[in-house]
Amino acid sequence: MDLERQNGSAARQEPVQEVSSGVLDVPFLVLTLLLTAIGLVIMFSASYARAYADKQNSTYFFVRQAIFAVGGIVVMLVITRFDYHLWRSVAFPILAVSILFLLLVLIAGKTINGSTRWFELFGISFQPSEIAKFAIIVVFATMISSYKEKMKTFRYGVVPFAAILGGIVALLALEPHLSGIIIIGAVGALMMFYGGTQLRWFLIGAAAAGLFLLIYLKVNPYAMQRITYWQDPFQDASDNGYQAIQSLYAIGSGGFFGLGLGRSRQKYLYLPEESNDYVFSILCEELGYVGAMLVILLFVLLIIRGFWLAMHARDRFGALMIAGLITLMALQVFFNIGVVTGFLPPTGISLPFFSQGGTALMLNLFEMGVVLQVSRKNGTSLMI
Amino acid sequence: MKAKRQRTKKEIRQTQEANRTVIVRILVAMVALGVLIFIPLSVRLYQIMVRDHDKYSGMAIDSQTRSQSVSASRGSIYDRNMNVLATSAMVETVFLDPYEIDQEKQDVGVIARGLSEILGVSEEFVRAQAAETNMRYKIIARKVEADEAAEVREFISEKKVTGIHFEEDTQRYYPNGALMAQTVGFVRSDNVGAEGIEAYYDDYLEGTTGKVITTKGNYGSEMLYTYEKTYEASDGYSLVTTLDSTVQYYLQKHIETAIEQYRVLHGAFGIIMDVNSGEVLAMANYGNFDPNNFLEIYEETASEELQKQYDEMERLDHSSLEYEAAKKEYEAAVVAARLAQWRNRCISDGYEPGSTFKTVTLAAALEEGVITLNDTFFCGGTAEIWGREDPLECWNHVGHGLETTAQALQNSCNIAFADIGIRLGGEKFYKYALSFGLTEMTGIDLPGEAAGVFFDKSYLTEYESYGYSSLTSASFGQTFKVTPIQLVRAISAIVNGGYLMEPHVVSRVMDQNGNVVEDIQPSYVRQVISKETSAIMRNLIISVVEEGTGKNAKVVGYTIGGKTGTSEKIDEFNEWGGRVDDKIVSFAGIAFDENDEAKYICLVALDTPGPGQYISGGVMAAPTVGDIFMDVLPYLGLNPNYTEDEIGLINFTMPNCKGMNLKDASEILAEKNLTYRVIGGGEKVTGQIPAAGSPVPGNSEVSLYMDADVPTGNIAVPDFHGLTVEQAKARAAYAGLYLQSRGTTSSSGSVSVSSQDIEPGTEVARGTTITVKFTDSSALD
Repeated sequence: MDLERQNGSAARQEPVQEVSSGVLDVPFLVLTLLLTAIGLVIMFSASYARAYADKQNSTYFFVRQAIFAVGGIVVMLVITRFDYHLWRSVAFPILAVSILFLLLVLIAGKTINGSTRWFELFGISFQPSEIAKFAIIVVFATMISSYKEKMKTFRYGVVPFAAILGGIVALLALEPHLSGIIIIGAVGALMMFYGGTQLRWFLIGAAAAGLFLLIYLKVNPYAMQRITYWQDPFQDASDNGYQAIQSLYAIGSGGFFGLGLGRSRQKYLYLPEESNDYVFSILCEELGYVGAMLVILLFVLLIIRGFWLAMHARDRFGALMIAGLITLMALQVFFNIGVVTGFLPPTGISLPFFSQGGTALMLNLFEMGVVLQVSRKNGTSLMI
Repeated sequence: MKAKRQRTKKEIRQTQEANRTVIVRILVAMVALGVLIFIPLSVRLYQIMVRDHDKYSGMAIDSQTRSQSVSASRGSIYDRNMNVLATSAMVETVFLDPYEIDQEKQDVGVIARGLSEILGVSEEFVRAQAAETNMRYKIIARKVEADEAAEVREFISEKKVTGIHFEEDTQRYYPNGALMAQTVGFVRSDNVGAEGIEAYYDDYLEGTTGKVITTKGNYGSEMLYTYEKTYEASDGYSLVTTLDSTVQYYLQKHIETAIEQYRVLHGAFGIIMDVNSGEVLAMANYGNFDPNNFLEIYEETASEELQKQYDEMERLDHSSLEYEAAKKEYEAAVVAARLAQWRNRCISDGYEPGSTFKTVTLAAALEEGVITLNDTFFCGGTAEIWGREDPLECWNHVGHGLETTAQALQNSCNIAFADIGIRLGGEKFYKYALSFGLTEMTGIDLPGEAAGVFFDKSYLTEYESYGYSSLTSASFGQTFKVTPIQLVRAISAIVNGGYLMEPHVVSRVMDQNGNVVEDIQPSYVRQVISKETSAIMRNLIISVVEEGTGKNAKVVGYTIGGKTGTSEKIDEFNEWGGRVDDKIVSFAGIAFDENDEAKYICLVALDTPGPGQYISGGVMAAPTVGDIFMDVLPYLGLNPNYTEDEIGLINFTMPNCKGMNLKDASEILAEKNLTYRVIGGGEKVTGQIPAAGSPVPGNSEVSLYMDADVPTGNIAVPDFHGLTVEQAKARAAYAGLYLQSRGTTSSSGSVSVSSQDIEPGTEVARGTTITVKFTDSSALD
C-alpha cells in the first residue's frame, strides 16, 4: 500500500462517502459511553451536597453536566461523519487560535487563586489550555506526518516542535498553570517520541524539563510548599494538608466494597472539590476498591483499545492523532488519580468523564469522537 | 523513470521504516500508558483502601461524627433502712460547636444573648467560646437542670440557630448533707467518686457510660445519609450500707454537744459498730462538711483564717511577686483545709489509744494465764521502771494502793498495767498486738485506710537495749498509734467471744431493678482470745462503768461496759519545738443486751478539750457515749431492763385522773409506778399535778385534788449545777418540781450535776420534770 499517496491526498482521491462508510470502532465507543455514564452518576452523587449547600438544588450540577454530556455525545457522533484529514488542514489555524486565547486569557481571563486560566464566554467557562492541548496534538501529528523520516534529524525532529512547545509552555507559565505545562509538555514530548525523534534528545529534553521545574519551584514558593505538605499532609491537617487528608479519609473509608452508591460521607462539604478534581475519592468511598479498580479497568481498556486503534490507523496522521489524544487522556487519568491518592504532589488535573465541568466533558467526548473518526477508516494497519 | 522508481522505493522503504518506528513506539506507549502507570496507582489504592482502611475510616468517622456520651445513672447509696444517702439526677451539659455556627449570619450574637439569659453565663464568655471555629466542643455550662435545658431547646427552635448541643450528665445529691459525709464521700464534677464509699465502690456505682454517635456535616450541612448509633448506658449498681442514719444522727448530735461543752479544739471522731458482725452503723468526723458542696470550708475557725489570709492577699498589689506568692500560699491553704475536712480520721489517722488499750493488754495477759482475777497489784503513785529515765507516774499521784486485777482496770492504773505488761513479756505482747490486728489494716471497705504505727518488735523484746520502757508504755496504750477502727475492732473481739472481724460498711449490692447482685457477709478474720477469757473481760469491762472510771457512761435500764482513755500526742510539736499539750480523751463503750451479750461498741474521742477544765476521758467522753447509747439503744431494739432501783430513773406519763374516784385513780397511778397524796375531801378528783400527759419520774408522788383548788402560777427553775444527788432532790422538791436524773447516780461526794435540760430561771408549770445530768468528777482517767 502506498501510504504516502494516501497520506497526502486522501480527501481528494477518495470520495467522502467511502471515507465515512467505514464502521466506527464499537468497543471504543461503548467504553467511552460507559465511562461517560458512570462518570455522570458519580459526579451527581459527589456534587449532591455541595449543590444543595450552594444552589439549594441538589441536582444543579448534575443537570448541567448531563446537558453537556448529551451535547458532547452528539458532537462526538457528528464528528465521526467527517473525514479526519480536515484536522490536518486546520492544524495551524487551531494552533494560532489557541495561542491567541492563551494571550487573551492573560489579559481578560478570570483569576482564581492567583492563576488566570479561565475564560468566560456566554456563561460558559473554559480553559484555553484545553484547546492548546488539542492544538499541540493536531499540529504535531500534522508536522510528523510531513517530516516522516526527517524526524530523525535535529533540524526537523526537534527544533520546530521544541519551539512550539516552548512558546505554549511560556504562555502557560505566565498564567501560571503548572498542571497544564506538565500535561502539554508530556503530550508534546510523547508525540515527538511516537513521531521518531531520536531518543537522545529526550534525555536533553528531560534535563531541560527538570531544570524548568526546579526554577519554577524556586520562583513559586507556593508550589514548593505544596510538595512539603504532600509529603506529610498531617503536619497541617486543618489548612494546607486539609484537602489531601480529607481525600485520604474518603478513599480509605471505602474499604473493599465501599459505603454504597450515594452514601459517601466525605462529600458533605468535608472534601473540597469533591465533584471536580477529587471526584475519584468519592467514587472510592462509595464503590470501594472493587469499584475503583473496575473504573480503572475501563480506562485501561479504553487506553489499550485507543492505542490499538492508533496502530491500525490507515495512515501516519490518523495513528498520531489517536496516539496523541489517548496519551492526553491516559496522562490526565494518571495524574488525577495519582494526586487524589497522594501518590503525586497535588496539582489541578481533572479526571476525564468524571470531573464536574461541562466544557471539559464536552472536549473529552469531542476528542474521543476524533479517535472514532479515525477508527472509521481503519481495517488495515500501518504494519502492512 | 527507473531512477525515480528507485528513489520512490527508497522513499517507501524509509517511510515504512519511519512508520514501523511509529508503530513500535505507540506499542511501547500502549504498554506504558495503558498498563504500567496504573500499577502504582492500584497498589496505592490498595494500601489506602484495604490495608489502611481501618485507620483512615476511623479517622474519617472521628471527623464526621459527634460522639456524645450518655451518662449511666450512678447507683444510689442507702442506709440499712433504705434511706437514701446519695442519689443522682439527670442534668445536661450545654456546649457549642463553633464550626457549625453560621458566623456570617450574626448568629453568634443571638446565641450569646440567648444562652447568657437562660444559663446565666456572660455573653462575652459565649462569644469567646464561639470564636474558636476550629474547635467542635466548647462547653458553655455544665450540670444544667432539666427546666433550663428545655428553655435552651425552645430558644434553638425559635431562633433557628445551629451549633448548640447537649450532652447528658448527672448530678449527685446527698439528702442528708453533712451526715456521714466522710463515710459516704462524694463525687467530683466528672462524676468520679472521690472519697468514702463513693470512691471505694466507684466501679460498682458508676455503671457504663453509653454513647450516641451522630453524623455531623461540615459547615453545618446535615448529611442526607445520616446515621445514629446508640451504645446503651448501663446503670450503676446501688449499695445498701450497714450505716444507720438515725444512729449516725445521734452520734453526731452528742459529739457536737461535747465539742461545744468541752470547747474541743481539734475536732473529734466516733464509731458505732456491731461487735459481732463488724457492721459499722455510724462513723463521724469533725470538722465536718456537706458533700453537696464539698469545696466549701465548713470549720469556722479554718474558714475565718482563710478569709483573713485572702483579705491580706487581696490588699497586695495584684501585679507584684508578693501577691503571686501569697496567692499560691492561699490556694495551698484552701486545699489543705479541704483535705482536712474530707479526711476520715476513723480509718486514716492513727492516734495513741491510751488507757482504752488496757483492755487488750489485760485480755492477752488473762488469755496467757500470766495473771488471774485474784492477783493483786500495788500502786504507790510512782514506780521505777527498768530502762525508763523518769519514774512512771500514775494519774492518781497518791497511788491506788493494793488493787485486784478488776480494780486495776476500774482505776485505769498505769502502774498495775506496767506490771501486767512485764508479766506478759514483750514476746507475747507483740504476738497479741499482731493477732489483734494492730499492725495491719482492718480491710474495711473504705478508701484511705492506714495501718497505724506500731513498735518494731525489738523495742518490746530486747530488754538489754530498752529495758521495760517500751513494753510498759505500750501496756497502757502509749507511744504507738492505732487507727480508731483498729481499736474498735480489737475491743470488739475482746467482748464478742474472741472473734476478730473485718469491719465493713456495705452489706448489699443491687442492680437498678433492686435485684441483689451481691450480699456482703460478716467476715471473720481469726480468733484472738478464748470465749472464756472474753466472758471474763466482759464482766471486767462492765465493772469499769459500774464502779470504775467509766461511771459517767451509765445508761439507765441497760448494761454498759467500757474503758476510758486520756492520751497525749507525744510526736507532735508546736512551733517552738516543744511537745504540744494536746490530749485526746476517749471512751470505748460496749452496750449489752438483756442477756448480757455484747451488741454494740461506741468509740468517741475528743481531740484536745480546751484549757481550764479537768481533761479526762471518764469525765468528757464517757458521758457522751452514755448519751449516745441512751438514744440509740432503744432505737436499735434493745429492751431496757430496769431494776427496782431504776424505776425512779424512768419517766412515766401522767394519766388523766380527773373525774375518777380515788380507787380508780390509785389503780391507774399504780400501773405507772406512781404514788399520790390527796388534797381536799371530795368524792372525785377535780385537779391534779402534774397535768395529764406530763412525764413524771417513776416512784414519784403526784398530787390529786378532790374538790380543792389546784395551786396556780408558774415556778422559776432553780439552778441545779454543782449540787449532789441529795441536794438536787431536795432543791427540786422544795420548788415543787420533779427531778429526773441522768448519768451516774451514786451518792458519792464527787458526783454532782453537770447540766440540766431547762435553763435556770425559766418559768415552768408546777410539777414539771427537770432532767439533770450527774457526772462523777472523780473518774479522772
